[in-house]
Amino acid sequence: MSRSGHRLLPLALTLVFTSALHAQNPAPAPAAAPDLSDPEVAHVAVTANSIDIDAAKFAQTRTRNAAVRQFAATMITDHSAVNAQAAALATKLGVTPADNAISQSLESGAKQARTTLESLHGAAFDRAYLDREVVYHQAVLDAIDKVLVPTTENAELRKLLVDVGPAVATHLEHAKQLRAQLGAPARTGT
Amino acid sequence: MIVWLVLLLAVPTAPPITHTVEIRGMEFHPADLTVAVGDTIVWINRDIVPHTATGTRRKWDSGQLQQGDSGRYVPRRAGRAPYTCTLHPTMQGMLIIRKE
Repeated sequence: MSRSGHRLLPLALTLVFTSALHAQNPAPAPAAAPDLSDPEVAHVAVTANSIDIDAAKFAQTRTRNAAVRQFAATMITDHSAVNAQAAALATKLGVTPADNAISQSLESGAKQARTTLESLHGAAFDRAYLDREVVYHQAVLDAIDKVLVPTTENAELRKLLVDVGPAVATHLEHAKQLRAQLGAPARTGT
Repeated sequence: MIVWLVLLLAVPTAPPITHTVEIRGMEFHPADLTVAVGDTIVWINRDIVPHTATGTRRKWDSGQLQQGDSGRYVPRRAGRAPYTCTLHPTMQGMLIIRKE
């Protein structure tokens, strides 16, 4: 894989991921996928899953809404299953996930979101958590389709990313439905 | 008695059939399925993430099916039986159950 486009990574994937996390409106994906090595793709994927698992674990300690608690449980179950598959595949392929600017940016965004969520309670927390889940899953879906899949060279890793897409889309719809059920007051800047 | 036995033997009764529903891509395939009372419906999970096949009106629940696992249900009365995945409520399926 050519490394010539590597410098585009922070710009391009940040457009997809982090601006969506810091603002509430996901930015459009870049026209051309940046160059990302397979170990870096694997690291981004594992990091993205781990972030949502951590958010869900925190939500379980904070929410008193049974439906939100169930949603969080599903996030933990599903993203853990995906990470287990990713780890097994990495072992099989002899790939060591490589930390990179995008993973670090994701983690930075997650910390900021967590700080906001920690200040909220009750219905305000539930709404903010689900708002973030909607934005996050949309950003992950865009990143899978427009950045991660196009840049991945290994066919098995690419297939894993493709297979994960429908699950992320289902999470997105689930989060939207649940958020709609919670009613109006919205968006506190997570 | 003899007449009754002859009639019983003469009327063909369809043997129960096993139907398979694949869960893949976060959907039930097929989503709508027509079966007969006494048939067996088997759900096989092909996805990475776990699923359930759980009746929303009738009380059957496959429990969590991990990738490659299967669960089954044998309906005992006719009617329409919607079902869902309790982990992913946006996933919906329907059994249309005939008397025979």
